[in-house]
Amino acid sequence: MSLFIERMVNGLADGSIYALLALALVVVFRSTGQLNFAQGEIGTFGAFVVSTLTLSGLPVWLSILLAMGVGFVVSAGVERVVVRPIEHRNPGAVIVALIGVFLAVNQLVSMIWGIDARPLPSIFPDEADSFVTVFGAPVRIARLGTIGVLIVVLVLLWLLFTKTKLGLAMRAVANNQDSSNLVGIRVGTVLLFGWGLAGAIGVLAAALLAPSAGLSGTLMLGPFLLASVAAVLGGLDSPIGAVVGGLLIGVTEAFIVGYVDFLGADMLFPVMLVILLAVLLLRPSGLFGSERVERV
Amino acid sequence: MNVPLRFTKGSWQNWAGRLVLFGGVGLFMYRAVNEWSRSGLGLLVDAMIIAIAVTGLNLITGYTGQLSLGHAAFFAIGAFTSATLVTGKIWTPFLDDNIWTPGWTLLASAVVCFLVGMVVGIPALRLKGIYLALVTLVFTEAVRAIFKYDEFSGVTGGATGIKGFNYLPPSWTGLDGRADLVTWFFYLTLAILVVVSILSAGLIRSRIGRAMVAVRDNETAAAVMGVNLFTTKTLVFGLSGAIAGVAGSLYALKLTLVEADVPLFGLFGSVTLLVALVVGGAAQNWGPFVGAMFYVFVNDYARSVGEDPSSSLLLGWFVDSGTTINGLGGVTFGVMLILFARFVPFGAVGTMRMWRSKVVQVVPRPPIPAAAAPEAGAAAPTLEQGHNDPDATTQPAASFGNADSSSLGDDEDAS
Repeated sequence: MSLFIERMVNGLADGSIYALLALALVVVFRSTGQLNFAQGEIGTFGAFVVSTLTLSGLPVWLSILLAMGVGFVVSAGVERVVVRPIEHRNPGAVIVALIGVFLAVNQLVSMIWGIDARPLPSIFPDEADSFVTVFGAPVRIARLGTIGVLIVVLVLLWLLFTKTKLGLAMRAVANNQDSSNLVGIRVGTVLLFGWGLAGAIGVLAAALLAPSAGLSGTLMLGPFLLASVAAVLGGLDSPIGAVVGGLLIGVTEAFIVGYVDFLGADMLFPVMLVILLAVLLLRPSGLFGSERVERV
Repeated sequence: MNVPLRFTKGSWQNWAGRLVLFGGVGLFMYRAVNEWSRSGLGLLVDAMIIAIAVTGLNLITGYTGQLSLGHAAFFAIGAFTSATLVTGKIWTPFLDDNIWTPGWTLLASAVVCFLVGMVVGIPALRLKGIYLALVTLVFTEAVRAIFKYDEFSGVTGGATGIKGFNYLPPSWTGLDGRADLVTWFFYLTLAILVVVSILSAGLIRSRIGRAMVAVRDNETAAAVMGVNLFTTKTLVFGLSGAIAGVAGSLYALKLTLVEADVPLFGLFGSVTLLVALVVGGAAQNWGPFVGAMFYVFVNDYARSVGEDPSSSLLLGWFVDSGTTINGLGGVTFGVMLILFARFVPFGAVGTMRMWRSKVVQVVPRPPIPAAAAPEAGAAAPTLEQGHNDPDATTQPAASFGNADSSSLGDDEDAS
């Protein structure tokens, strides 16, 4: 039982990372209708910024906040400089441009910080004995903290979307860009803010993941893939779906690795494919996604 | 619109244009095989193999509008099929040592990938756009994981893969065994590329091809007009996968080894094929070839910039010779992709066609004169106008079948 709880919490903690990344993907998808292939790499970039800042003596929490600011600027810059000038009617070109950003940022990281992995201090107490006992199971504080961060981010996002004028504008733009423009919303600024927000969340996810996974140029490749699966599973335009999908994927991963010996971590993607097909064939727009009605 | 030159389709000028195009490419290939270095020829063969795979992807993503990030899986399945057959890992009747000759493995890969592709096509009936792309992407990684899985290592070689299969050019070519293997392989790849391109172009002009374009432009409308969505999607996914499988098969024969960690067999491969397709021009006959050439050679150039920045145009002013900047090659290529997407959004071929259409226009043959068919006289003029409207063919195709794409400019003639 205690092993079960430990695996459950570990799965939820990993799931929180996927959920954060998936949230970032959803925010971008709602504003631009594209999967942001560069999302993970912007996160990695931010995590390296955190590492540089902490090495220069800043406290970890402040470094993460500053790096989130950097992520905000980089991601908003990608929207303004790379994505927006492309004619939006051509999704193929946008995908190629985002793959270009992915490649450029990925390689820029190894250009600036080299290819060796480096440690990153955790924002939570992360000593050998820093765990608490939950129902008789030892659970690391850092794991619980990650889940806590997800909850805080969720509450903040909920407040932003429902209680502020900017959030209202973001929802309007997600719903219908042309009409939003007509009622006087500055659509460009809102898109910029949405992408920036996603970038900041991505950096947060990377900074939470790096202490346990090790900071390297390939930090976010696997998590990005799983987060996109989570986002699709939950519905690409649904923040709730992203969180549910992320946690689901995290727990599934932990249980497969923990309990299904003959599959293990190597066979994660075949299992993900089965889950994805099982859900999407019943609900083609994901668990919480809204179905698009098309006129002919 | 006033255009300086206007030719009828099938006129001698039209054929002359095609001759110049094909002659130019033929001359390029001839010079390449006779004068290029071995490594350069190797890159060209890589480009042609990718071009074959992208031709397959073009059918389903370019013409049918189903965004697939799963073609690296077909590529890998084709490669592994070839590798297991060539090394005799599967019992085969009539063969004493179970070892297949390379030519037959290409066919076997095509059949296997066709069947797998048909199955992959079934989810495409329910899923659209990015949802389908993500499912096929996970399919790629799942296939890679299965090839790596220990339990199947008797057939797939598991994590170590299959290495060391050897073969020689067939004796009828008169080529000298091992020394001319590269030349033989170049001709083999070129021949398959030509055949696949012709078959693809023919398919697009057939009834199925029109059904594909109809599905891309508006699925519901196509279904209402009597297009069978199930048949069209599964069949085209199967054909598309089969072509990618043949390309993978060639790739395995070129490498003379397969393992699950070959970059082109995973996520990276799927992305490569999609980038090559978009860069060349989706839903264009020449798109896959141009895109693959761009991808391979520009990538190689970017890599050389990273290895020796002092020799490049811009950085030569700032960097001492002999320095290598880690990652600069990738950054260069990434920036090139961004610029390409910004300034050539319809792909190289689409943009070239747009420019060409400002100078030369190929209009369809006029219908049979009214005298020959007097009874159709009343209805003919309106039809004729519709057909001869030259502006309709000047717009390049908006790729990937969004509901809002009103693409008319599909590549109908080969030139």
